[in-house]
Amino acid sequence: MKAQVKAQVKAQGTANAQRQFDPVAGHPTPQVAFADVTLDLGGKTIIENLSLGVQPAEFLCIVGASGCGKTTALRLAAGLYQPTRGKVTFDGQPMREPRREIAIVFQDYGKALLPWRTAAGNVSLALEAGGMPAAERPARIEELLRTVGLPGHAGKYPAEMSGGMQQRLQIARCLAQEPKTLLMDEPFGALDAMTRQGLQDEVLSLVAASGVTVIFVTHDLDEAIYLGDRVIGLLPHPGRIGIELPVNLPRPRDQLSTREHPEFLRLRRQLFDFIKATEQ
Amino acid sequence: MKTTGILWRLASFAVAAGFVALWQLIANFKLVSPVFLPGPDRAWASLVRGFSSGDLLAKLAGTVEHMAYGWLAASIAGIALGAVIGSSPRMRTYVAPSLEFLRPLPVSAIIPVAIAMLGLTQAMALFVIAFGAIWPIMLATIHGFAAVEPRLYEVARSLQMSKLAVIFKIALPSASPDILAGMRLSLTVALILAVVCEILAGLDGLGHWVLLSARAFRSADLFAGVILLGVTGYVTSVAMSLAEHRLLAWQASQR
Ligand SMILES: Nc1ncnc2c1ncn2[C@@H]1O[C@H](COP(=O)(O)OP(=O)(O)O)[C@@H](O)[C@H]1O
Ligand SMILES: [Mg+2]
Repeated sequence: MKAQVKAQVKAQGTANAQRQFDPVAGHPTPQVAFADVTLDLGGKTIIENLSLGVQPAEFLCIVGASGCGKTTALRLAAGLYQPTRGKVTFDGQPMREPRREIAIVFQDYGKALLPWRTAAGNVSLALEAGGMPAAERPARIEELLRTVGLPGHAGKYPAEMSGGMQQRLQIARCLAQEPKTLLMDEPFGALDAMTRQGLQDEVLSLVAASGVTVIFVTHDLDEAIYLGDRVIGLLPHPGRIGIELPVNLPRPRDQLSTREHPEFLRLRRQLFDFIKATEQ
Repeated sequence: MKTTGILWRLASFAVAAGFVALWQLIANFKLVSPVFLPGPDRAWASLVRGFSSGDLLAKLAGTVEHMAYGWLAASIAGIALGAVIGSSPRMRTYVAPSLEFLRPLPVSAIIPVAIAMLGLTQAMALFVIAFGAIWPIMLATIHGFAAVEPRLYEVARSLQMSKLAVIFKIALPSASPDILAGMRLSLTVALILAVVCEILAGLDGLGHWVLLSARAFRSADLFAGVILLGVTGYVTSVAMSLAEHRLLAWQASQR
């Protein structure tokens, strides 16, 4: 299925108003689709004519300079913003509001967790919202905490946990939503390099196990290539697609061999040049 | 850590004992006429007599009842109103000026109005106590609801939580430190107003007891009543602190 995703490399700076995801051209139905989406906020156009389809189980990474609209695009996909023009759809249906099948991992984990609930309580929030009977929750909570590498921390409050643990907890809560799509906004941006690499691999194995679709925003180009099936680079003012690269690196990925792969280095170079050009 | 805590406690006991001793000395040497100032021995005797006859207990129960009903009514109404006003920025801008007008109004100014409307009744007392005690609670609740982390509302939206669930699982717990602090402040206000209402309306309670004792120059009874009022204020505030400590245990880890 992923091989079918025909992605072309677009030279940076070309107009991309005409770029459109075309379901008729042999693509399977995208799970998340932007059709010519424009968003104005505060009298400014933040995103312009963005068209994009994300296939089920695809791992899409979005990179771009700071302020180019990555977070805004993700919020559109989450249904937290409504487009000014164009349409965002999920499984073919227009997104009018956020929905439980789409989970979002915020960068500021400190603000996205309930400080008055323990780790278990924070995961429980999503289960409660999903209507799971109280008797079934503890077992599921334990399972989820184990999945994200937090077994034995169920009784801890977020303030008693390190940044990496808090972000793991937020991921556990998102998984408790049983999402079809997982949106991640620079989830590891505030973490140190070691924690970051560990979490990258954990996310990859989680995603492989659950088959969830991921849209992953990062400003770390290596991270984007390492994780993604496809990397999109945004151009700023207004935000639009400037480059699109399929990542044909074998899975499972490996922190050492993948990062030394000639294809990795080639993509890295290409993205690097793109970002450098947008920053001028 | 532990020993210094114990030392502080001992020191505060010593100060209290010192005051009582000083009071006894002043009374013994009749520096103030015994008609006005009984010694702690006589006040204590009066306390014991009052309790064994059951008189004082009934008065204490009356005051605690006035205070508790007024305070509870103020808490429920204050939290409900504060939640409505605090969770909507538009409400806040509309209602804030009226609040600023009403808030500094001394409650004593309301009492004649309440008496004119409700007479010298329990209902009047309840109204006055609740009116006075509602402000700290309502203002704290407004502040608490306005300060809820917006990110948490987005989490709630993406979980498609119901309005009710958002209030009870996100907004109220988030505002609870503010709300509980407001409730503690109101406790004192409620006690003061309970006494004032009892004095003005002759309602059964320590206020009334103190007033009658003063009129009959029974200074020992008067002091027994005052001591009981002090104890009531102290005990309720300690109980409130304990409740706060328990309910806000999660905050301990944040500091
Ligand atoms: N609510 C808003 N109102 C007005 N402008 C906004 C708003 N949110 C974001 N912006 C602007 O949109 C641009 C893109 O923001 P954002 O999506 O957060 O960028 P990124 O995540 O790529 O760093 C920025 O220039 C930012 O100032
Ligand atoms: Mg951002």
